[in-house]
This record gives sequence, C-alpha cells and structure tokens, in this order.
Amino acid sequence: MSGVTIKEPQGVLRSRWSASVDDYAIAGGWALRGDAIVVADSAGGVHAFDGTTGRSRWSRRDTHPGGLLAIAIRSDTVTLATAGQDGCVRLWSIEDGEPRRSLPIADGWVERLEWSPNGDYLAASCRREVRVFSAAGEEVWRSPPHPSTVSALQWLDPRTLASACYGRVTMFRIPNGSEARRFEWKGSLVSMVHSPDGDVIACGSQDNSVHFWRRTTGKDSMMSGYEGKPAALAFDDSGTLLATGGGVAVTVWSFAGRGPEGTRPGELEMHVLPIMSLTFAPRSMRLASGARDGAVVVWALEKSGRGKPIGVVQLQHAIAGLHWHPDGEALVALDAGGGVVAWRVEAPPAARRPAGKTPR
Amino acid sequence: MKRIPVTILTGFLGSGKTTLLNRILSEQHGKRIAVIENEFGEIGIDQALIINADEEIFEMSNGCICCTVRGDLIRVLGNLMKRRDKFDYVVVETTGMADPGPVAQTFFMDDEIRAEFSLDGIITLVDARHIPQQLGRSKESTEQIAFADVLVLNKTDLVTPEELDEIEARVRGMNRMAKIYRAKRAAVPVEVVLGLEAFDLETALVKKPTFLEPEYPFEWTGVYALEAGRYEVSLADGPDPTMSLVAIVDQGCDDIDLRGGAERCVRNWSEPPLELAPGARIPCGRHVRLKLETQGRKSFVLEVERAASVGLFTQHTAAEFDLAVAPVGRAGAGRPLPPKCERTWVAQHEHDDQVGSVGIELVGDIDGEKLNAWIGRLLRERGSDIFRMKGFISIAGDPRRFVFQGVHMLFDGQPDRPWGDSPRRNQLVFIGRNLDRAAMTREFAACRV
Repeated sequence: MSGVTIKEPQGVLRSRWSASVDDYAIAGGWALRGDAIVVADSAGGVHAFDGTTGRSRWSRRDTHPGGLLAIAIRSDTVTLATAGQDGCVRLWSIEDGEPRRSLPIADGWVERLEWSPNGDYLAASCRREVRVFSAAGEEVWRSPPHPSTVSALQWLDPRTLASACYGRVTMFRIPNGSEARRFEWKGSLVSMVHSPDGDVIACGSQDNSVHFWRRTTGKDSMMSGYEGKPAALAFDDSGTLLATGGGVAVTVWSFAGRGPEGTRPGELEMHVLPIMSLTFAPRSMRLASGARDGAVVVWALEKSGRGKPIGVVQLQHAIAGLHWHPDGEALVALDAGGGVVAWRVEAPPAARRPAGKTPR
Repeated sequence: MKRIPVTILTGFLGSGKTTLLNRILSEQHGKRIAVIENEFGEIGIDQALIINADEEIFEMSNGCICCTVRGDLIRVLGNLMKRRDKFDYVVVETTGMADPGPVAQTFFMDDEIRAEFSLDGIITLVDARHIPQQLGRSKESTEQIAFADVLVLNKTDLVTPEELDEIEARVRGMNRMAKIYRAKRAAVPVEVVLGLEAFDLETALVKKPTFLEPEYPFEWTGVYALEAGRYEVSLADGPDPTMSLVAIVDQGCDDIDLRGGAERCVRNWSEPPLELAPGARIPCGRHVRLKLETQGRKSFVLEVERAASVGLFTQHTAAEFDLAVAPVGRAGAGRPLPPKCERTWVAQHEHDDQVGSVGIELVGDIDGEKLNAWIGRLLRERGSDIFRMKGFISIAGDPRRFVFQGVHMLFDGQPDRPWGDSPRRNQLVFIGRNLDRAAMTREFAACRV
C-alpha cells in the first residue's frame, strides 16, 4: 500500500506502547497534565489510557446512541466534552470517566466542539447553529442560523469565536454574541485553523484550495493547486509555518518575512496516499504527518517551510489523528482500525541532555 | 477494497418513494442499510440507520470545470465511512423536486467519497397517473427520468393498459438506457433496485446488452398456455406482405419476465430471418419471416413437445393480422385460444419532449486525440444539457477497450479489459436535452483514424 515499508519505527521514533479501541479512532487528546490520553471511537466508546504505559484507566461505551462525532478537552485537563449523532453534548470527568452533565442541543448531529482557551466556554455546532455553554453547562448564547451547516469552530481568543460554513467565516464576541466580523468567499470551507496570535485564519476548501484572511489588514489570499481538499491544517506555535494537506505531499507555507504570498511553499514528499492528519510539536518546528497509507512521518522544518524527514513508522490503517505530548517528547497516533500507538520522540540534538545521562 | 454501493432514489411527491423505501428496508435480505433522507420520514426499521440531511447544494470547481454537488452528503458519508463494517448499502432519498445531478456529481467530484463509495444506480419512481401532466410542467420531473438507471412506473392500477403503454413509450423515448419496471404500490423486487452496478459499465452492459437499441423490433407479445401437440398459427390479410416473429418457450407473464423475453428476442432478431411459406413449421427461438403475399387466411404450424407457456413476439400487433392460435387434430381443434397475457410494445412516437437519447454505434478505431477534442468541446458547450453518457470505445493502438461514463460535464473513463477475439467497435449513448443526433453521429464518425 505504501512506498514506505517499515515495521519498526525509524529515526527519532522509539516504540513505547500500543492499545486499541472498538472502532475507528476518530478523536483524542492528552489530559490530566499529560498523564493520560483520551481516545474516542466512532461507535461511541470513550477510553482513557495511561500516557506512559498505555494501560487502560477507564472505558465508557455507547456514550452517544448512533455514534460519537467530536470530543474536546478543557484547559484544566480534567473535563471532557463529547458530542454525537444523538444531538447531545455530554460532560465527563477524566479522572474517573464519570458523567457530569448531558446537554441536549437539537435533533441533528452535533459535529463540532471547542473549549475556549481558558476553559470558560464550550462551543458546539449542530446543523446551522452554534451554541455556547458555560463551563458548568449553562447555555450562554445561541447563534442565528448560518446559511449552511457549520463546518468548523475556532476560538481566536478567550472571547472571540469563529465559525466556518459555505461561503464565509463569521466571528462572534462571547458572551453577548455580537457579530465582530465576517469574511466571505464563495466556496465550501471544510476546515479552519488560526495563527497563535489570532491574526491569520486559514480554511481548507472543498475545491482543493486553502484560503486565508489576515484580521489586522483584512487582506485575503488563496493558495490553490492542491490535488484534494485540504482537510488537515496546522500552525506551529510561533505562527511562522502553516502546514497543509490536500494530497500526498505536505505543503508548508511560511509566514516569515512578507510571505507566504508570492513565495514557494515547502513540499514534503514521502506519503503515497493523501494526508489525513498534521500536528506540530509544542513550541517546535517538528511536524508530524499521518496519511491514508498508514504512515506516520516526523519532519524537521526550517523557517522557509522546507524540511526533511527525521522519523517514520508504518501502521496498518489510515492515520486518523496525531497527538504530541505537551512536553513534545512523545507522539500518539490514532488509526482507522481502532489502533492507538505511542512512541517516544528523541529530542533535537541541541536540546539533548549531557552525555552520560539517559533520556527518559 | 470493496466500495459501499449507494443507490439514489428520486421521484415526485406521491410517486411512492417512501413505500418503496419501506419495502427495501422491511424485506428479509439481511443487509444493513443506511438511509439518508431530506425530509423527516416515518420509517424507522431495526436494520436501518436513518439520517436526516439538509439538502445543501453548492457549486464546486475542480480546477477546470464547475458543477453543483451536495455538501451535506459529503459530510454524512464522510462520517459513515468511519463505520464501514456496519453498512452494506446506502440509500439516498431526494426530495420530490430535486434534480438528481448534484447527488450523482458528488460521487465524481469528492475524492474521499469516490474512494469509499460507488454510485450503484439512480432509481426514479414515476406516478403513472400524473406523469403526463408533470412532464409538461416541470423540468425536474423530466430530469429525474433522464438520469435514471431504473424507472419504476408505479400506480399502474390507476391507468388503463393502453395509457400505460403510451407512458412507457414516452419515457423510453427520453431515456433509452434505463430499465423499466411496472408496479402497483411500488412492489418491485429489491434486487431490481439495489446492487445494480449500473455505474459499473461493464456489468451494466452484460445485464442489458441492448442498451443502444432504439426500440424493440416487435410491437406485440402474446403468451399462450399450450399442451404438448400441434397448433395452427393463422393470419388474415394485413398491412405488410411479410411479418417477422420469434416464438419463445417458457415465457412468463409478469412484467419482469416479459422484458426478459423481449431482451432475448432482440438478440434473436439481430440474426437473419428464416423465410417461411404458409404451411411451414415455426421453430422456437429463431427469427422467422412469414410470407403473407397470398390472398386470404394463411396458416403456419407450431409444434410443442411438452406443456409450456409459449410467447409469440411479433413485428406487428395481433390485431393487424387477426392472428390466431388454435389446436389441430384434437378437442377444440380450430377454436382460437385466448392468450394468457399480452403486451403491446408501443413504438416510439414523436413527442415534443426535448429530452431524448442518442445512441451511436460505429465500427472502426478511433483517434484518441480527436476523441478528446470532440468530447471536450461537447461537454464544454453542451455539458449542462447532457445528463448522462456511457459507452465504450476502440482507441487505435490500444489492445484494451476504453470505457467511459459521465454526469453532465464530469467525465470518467479508463481502459478496461483487452478486446481479445471480440470485434472492435464503438458504442456510445447520450441522454440529454435537444441533442442533435445527426451532428453527434457525424462528429463522432470524424474521430475515426
């Protein structure tokens, strides 16, 4: 299937543990200050694993009749929100897996879920509507209907929520809900990320392009020529690099200097099937990419967007998600067959500990 | 990797979509079916997942062409494919007024959907009672017929057999590619609507080799229940000095059997006829031409070895020649038998329908570049008027058949199996609005090397 036929991880990746869930692992995230990872499967199971050993801490099945669609972990790292096809949002304690609260939203799929950066608010979208709840689960705001189904949600700062749908990105001030700004562009926006400072909003579009807007100047740009729809997008923590999927190559746009307009992006080629997942390591220019071919590649990038592979491993199934540990020294991949695989990632040479001491 | 087949169910409000859906879901086929609906339905059956979707249609471009797709389907199917082991089929039910184009195009335009799902077929339910008015009034109704792989003429109990034959001839004139079934209360076997592989051209051609035939070469079928023995088939003077005929043993009487017999007969008909003078024996399963020049009633002999239902497929209707079948040399001798059932295959009349089919059949190799230029221009200029197209082409220098199909301006083609010993030829069919048959045939012929 893949041009990469590697069983054992290569380069900076070192096997740590693997586990599995009941169906396609659709979402996950580190919790409990990095001690645990929470993984949700499409059948409605939610599972917490010990981050160091991979042992199960707890499992909950059938959390959402019909299936689970999204999860979000609050910044306190102990509160989990889940959403599903039953039209509900549920809050859980990650310590013990006990349910805290169930919030019926509407008759429809609740597809997007995002906690605000400081954990004050939880935003959920169902069909054309967005609702915002307090951390305790009280509804604080409900959006007017969007022109089409909401496809992505992002908090630009603790009080500004952005929604994407066909033809536009809309920014709302929370909790009063006033519309702060709107960017329009005729196209079906399927994914959205923002730069860490909140200035750049980038969306992947169904018609194989990436569109982005700068809030400070109001200027927008379109990057086209992708082989497929860029569903995977990631900014690094410095806001210099925007990695985008949309084909078998990872295309990296550099915002250094006057870029990325008029510059050539970095093209990272190793995957043989389209990219499904992209994530930068915290405070680093290391990027992890996962593709439909089951390969996971770690890349060391330069400010220009160019880079080279420094670690690679091949799994059996398509890579549905990649999650760097908050310290950047471990990586977990979720796959379409329900696999959860963790690796230790060797630190870059400059950051290595003095000789004689073994890294953790 | 096996892709999950998707069936699109269209038809005007009241045409019986929900009834058919209920039938599909309640039948004991052991398949898990996911249904994507646009309107809240009442149905909810154990083995099925019913998903409600907003019909979100938007324009999308893939760099060189623009077309409309269903955004909600991309999302819903994107989620369904993450639980692939649980579904054997997906049925998408469209709203009554929906144009099937965007749904079908979604399966061509989105790579992820294309990788996991295959468009199995488009089923259009037609309310036999109301379709004549609907065709006059709405373009959606016409488009639903034009897009179909299967047309179910429903509510046949509400019209006369003659009206039904007229309706069938009319929709056949619009869409020559579709299989047509007649039904009351949407009662058609599940296998005629699911698992069609209609978009898999190879399979579709095996199932219906005559998809390019303009119309049946016979106007009438009578099925007679005959004992073993000798029968006289007699004809009075009629409008033609000859008449072609094929007799088929074990011909059933229901709609599906009649059509099956008709398809077999078309193949018999393509062979040169056996000329028969009065008094001659009519062999079964052979294309024969009865000589009828002499004045007065003329008789032919039909011999049956065992009791069987025998279907007579005749070039003209029985009434035109006062055709009669009667036993010879035993009880009831000379007394005409009534047919067990009969069907008049109405010849295609000229309707003012702008939608029609153009079939092109041509021997000879085609120049790939000329073909590309022609198809490219045709789709650019007429793409919105061309609803469906299918065919296979003999490209010069390629040992393999080039198979293609398309929806509006989306074109999908690739080489498939080698020609081997079969004769190299080209077969194409287009269904569309105001198609210029002569020009298209001429332009395609100009693509020959």
